Amino acid sequence: MSDSLTSLIGHQFPGGDYLIEHWENFLLTDCTGADLMANGVVHPIALFHVPIIGAQTSIAEMFALGQAESDFSISIESYDWHFHSPLKENVRYSVTGGIIDVQLDLDEGDRRYDLITFRFEIAGENHPVATTEVAWHYNRGATIGVHQSES
Amino acid sequence: MKVNVGDVIPSWTMTSVSIEKMKTMAAILRDPNPVHWNRKTVAAMGMGERTINQGPLGISYMVNMLQAWAGENCIQHMHVTFPNPLILDEDEIIARGQVKAVDEDGLIYCETWLERNGERGLIEAEVTLNLHDKQV
Repeated sequence: MSDSLTSLIGHQFPGGDYLIEHWENFLLTDCTGADLMANGVVHPIALFHVPIIGAQTSIAEMFALGQAESDFSISIESYDWHFHSPLKENVRYSVTGGIIDVQLDLDEGDRRYDLITFRFEIAGENHPVATTEVAWHYNRGATIGVHQSES
Repeated sequence: MKVNVGDVIPSWTMTSVSIEKMKTMAAILRDPNPVHWNRKTVAAMGMGERTINQGPLGISYMVNMLQAWAGENCIQHMHVTFPNPLILDEDEIIARGQVKAVDEDGLIYCETWLERNGERGLIEAEVTLNLHDKQV
């Protein structure tokens, strides 16, 4: 498995674009318990799913690329989000993304895992809007217990 | 707004994490994992019959706190870690934060975290806020 995982470094998703419609922002914001933001600004939490879907990948594919043992075998190292300007409704953003790092056979107590870091970039017309790095643990073998799944 | 190192950010409370919000969120995220929408799946894992909140929803409680305090579009950078992110439906979660530094350009560096029953360590974030007006 190790060779196939390390070969993922540099893997690029197809990339594409994403437009956040009002209904999506409304429902997303409602889930957070906040009021809708003014001027069609999208709740910042969209920076989790917009890059993934916009880059033409999915949570399921990201699991599969790292050879996740099950839906329950993923836990989160970190999310790193940079906002250059707010995301807005009804604006078509271009999205690129891929895998920038793989670290194999790490351990923490009785837990062994591989660490995979994905990076996504969102851009408007000729200007960067946001970047995000998603670092997930792909737990191997040992009982995972209460480690939260992917998202 | 005058901000000083050590200032405590007014907290923000999600009084009861909702399975219905998790279901909606799962659809928006296209997240197939049943731990977010099927209590029986979680029960079968020996963790009780309550669904597990999505990480982004936990982060959103900190975002809501920061934006209520410093204004919409204030967040420039977030580095979020997940020491023990097991938040379940019906939990009461409180987002808290404190100012750690303020630089000459007006950037504000904060630490934020979520608490349940007075204990932190669920989800934490180092955040940079920019209070200058942003182009919207």
